[in-house]
Amino acid sequence: MIKKTDITWCPGCGNYAIRDVLEKVLHELPIPRKDIAFTSGIGQAAKMPQYLEVNYFNGLHGRSLPLAVGIKLARPDLTVVSYSGDGCLYGEGGNHFIHAIRRRLDLTIITSDNQIYGLTKGQSSPTTDFGVKNALDPRGNENIPLNPLSLAINMGAPFVARGYAGDKDHLGGIIREAILFKGTAVVDILQPCVSFNNINTYQWYHKRVFKVDNTPADRYEAMKLAEQWGDKIPIGIIYRDDKAECRELAKIFREPLTEADIREHLAMKCVMMR
Amino acid sequence: MEFSVLIGGEAGLGAFSMELELTDILSRLNYYFFATKNYMSRVRGGHNFHMIRIADHSVHALTGGSWDMIVALDEETEIRHRVHLYDKGLYLSPTLIGEVAREAREEFHDVTVSNTILVGVILAIIDVDTERLAAVTESNKLKYLRRGFKYAGQWEMAGIFPIPSKAGCHYIFDGNKAIALGSLLGGCQFMAGYPMTPATSIMHYFATAAMSLPAHFEQAEDEISAINMALGASYAGVRSMVATAGGGFALMQEAVSLAGMTETPIVIVVGQRPGPATGLPTRTEQGDLNLVLYAGHGEFPRIVFAPGTIGEAIDVTRKSFELADRYQIPVFVLTDQYFADSVQLMEEDLPVSVPAREYGIFDRAYQRYALMETGISPLTFPGLFDAMVRVDSDEHDESGTITEDLDLRIRMVDKRLGKMTLLKKDAIPPTFYGDSEAGTILISWGSNRLIVEEAVDKLVAERIEASALHFGQVYPLSNDMIAPYQLESKTIICVENNGGAQFACLLKKEFGLHATHNILKYNGECFTVEEIYSRVKLLLSPEVEE
Ligand SMILES: Cc1ncc(C[n+]2csc(CCOP(=O)(O)OP(=O)(O)O)c2C)c(N)n1
Ligand code: SF4
Repeated sequence: MIKKTDITWCPGCGNYAIRDVLEKVLHELPIPRKDIAFTSGIGQAAKMPQYLEVNYFNGLHGRSLPLAVGIKLARPDLTVVSYSGDGCLYGEGGNHFIHAIRRRLDLTIITSDNQIYGLTKGQSSPTTDFGVKNALDPRGNENIPLNPLSLAINMGAPFVARGYAGDKDHLGGIIREAILFKGTAVVDILQPCVSFNNINTYQWYHKRVFKVDNTPADRYEAMKLAEQWGDKIPIGIIYRDDKAECRELAKIFREPLTEADIREHLAMKCVMMR
Repeated sequence: MEFSVLIGGEAGLGAFSMELELTDILSRLNYYFFATKNYMSRVRGGHNFHMIRIADHSVHALTGGSWDMIVALDEETEIRHRVHLYDKGLYLSPTLIGEVAREAREEFHDVTVSNTILVGVILAIIDVDTERLAAVTESNKLKYLRRGFKYAGQWEMAGIFPIPSKAGCHYIFDGNKAIALGSLLGGCQFMAGYPMTPATSIMHYFATAAMSLPAHFEQAEDEISAINMALGASYAGVRSMVATAGGGFALMQEAVSLAGMTETPIVIVVGQRPGPATGLPTRTEQGDLNLVLYAGHGEFPRIVFAPGTIGEAIDVTRKSFELADRYQIPVFVLTDQYFADSVQLMEEDLPVSVPAREYGIFDRAYQRYALMETGISPLTFPGLFDAMVRVDSDEHDESGTITEDLDLRIRMVDKRLGKMTLLKKDAIPPTFYGDSEAGTILISWGSNRLIVEEAVDKLVAERIEASALHFGQVYPLSNDMIAPYQLESKTIICVENNGGAQFACLLKKEFGLHATHNILKYNGECFTVEEIYSRVKLLLSPEVEE
């Protein structure tokens, strides 16, 4: 068992609430723990799998998704969840985020989005709001923030949601749906960082978030909802397409290559048999 | 008896398809041959040439020197290569070939068959028996080939270079096919990749094979993703590999280190081409030995193979998967464009058995990084039994949880580096060729093996004492590997396709051995037998002092 005292997050960090939610959801899911594999990158959020009772591959900064894709392709029988921070997933691993969605795999992609680089102590992340000042942006962030939800919808993700660490029950529902969803499910979680983000605080989010009651069935409607940011921030399932089809995967692990396979292969393929 | 032919022309004129057609028929007729190509990084235009050596004995290199025949599909071929035509050599000029094309259009209403007609001309020159030819070729092709025989007769070329077909039952392979097949024989079921010459055809082969085998190829968005996917698949229980060129491999380095830290088995094929940066994309070099030896930050063990023959490529690739699993490390197969694109015969039997992957059964007490007497932690995969498999890129404790316990750090480093001792014991010894008493020894690695061996034959035929030693495993090296050869007392000539004598430097570092001479080549082309022979001869002649 993981002792709370071993956890290295700052007291008050939004990740604690998310961890509680994840433990509860995993506990309730009809999936044996041994069949759940998490991947993560590097960052404060990326430590999440270490604090859960799951299989995990805690890889390199930015690379949690390729690991998840590899695991899923090799073992479709496993429930695969990629977990990381916004810097890791949308910054260093941004290319993988775009392309992993295109692969139409049954994956869950969850991000603790604290709009800042936590582990490296407070630099702008791809989701840091325009104009925010910090150590590496002393004059204020000059970049337009990336919107993970509209990007995910644009890339064809059939399940796109935003959760909030300050509303555990609501978040639990979203994560549960995301993991059970057959297809690529993207969940961006608003996660207050009490040490380095004194703008997007619990109070800041509390004032702005509102729950989406009716998930739009239309992609363009969903896009509009996903684009909302500022005074009113939607949380909940922003887009869901239950008809989207996952890719069919070959069984490979349970069917190792055999001598018979090789004989057949040699008889029919590129290598010329004489 | 030998016959060498060069077919040149700009990309798109059909020189490549002529090589394919010719070698296909030669193989069907049981001819010994060796074929390689020199091409530009473009799809149309430029200047490409294909070199085919046909013989009554096994051949695995370009001889160099002059050509017995040149087929010039364009003027450029005439300008560049005609000077290298043997004085009694045969020359098909662009004008003559234009005639053939014109007549092909009239006679067969199809210009494209003129290349097949020219293949027929070549077959007639080496005195192929038309009845045997008819027995092995598709009937629709035969009439074009026969037309070629007729031209050869008209031009008084038929039978000028008669070569008997003496090869036995064989396979034909280029280096990349050998590696791809070796991977299947090693039980590899997952490959991820991003196209890059000269590694792309390994992916093509694997992806095609995966259509009918329990295997999967995934085209990644970049090389970083490719190797991380492969590591994910390996973690999940499937033997996995990636293949790329130096540039793509440079992008993979951080993940090589990840494989080292997480002790995740993986096989990495690196096909070398001249760098730095994009370099000469379609040419050859052995310039990435250092890159592969030292790739990845931090300290961790690895094995690097550099096969020199088709058989060796199949064997070491196959073995790589076993070793990657046994030691839970990255294993490299280092090759190059020359080997990748050269077509060779293999008469030996292929190993067809696939070793089953072994893994243990564990309960919840399982620890991925358990410190064991053997120095190797037990490997298993998620979702099979109650064991939770936790792997971590941070320094970790035995359970795979992040740790900053610095004493434990020491034990984990010792465990990882301790594998080096085991790897050295398992190392594949180099291959010696020639007379062990010879005072001069030519050392090579990777694709140069058979070129060097033929050069040795040529030297010995002139009573110049020479032998050869080829390293098919370039790392780790152990004293046992070289002990039998008394290298200290010999004139060592290190032959490498690079400018920096990288392997000679490694020999010095590992054994304190000093190469007396280096024969280096780095213009983007492979060595020829003639070249190595004459450079050795020059080096050994008394006038030359270094
Ligand atoms: C290749 C590489 N570059 C940089 C780093 C340093 N680094 C570690 S975590 C991190 C950013 C963390 O931000 P985020 O992903 O948002 O996670 P958080 O810590 O905020 O949860 C960086 C830049 C690294 N580990 N690897
Ligand atoms: S730095 Fe921020 S995100 Fe990281 S643990 Fe502390 S509060 Fe949480």
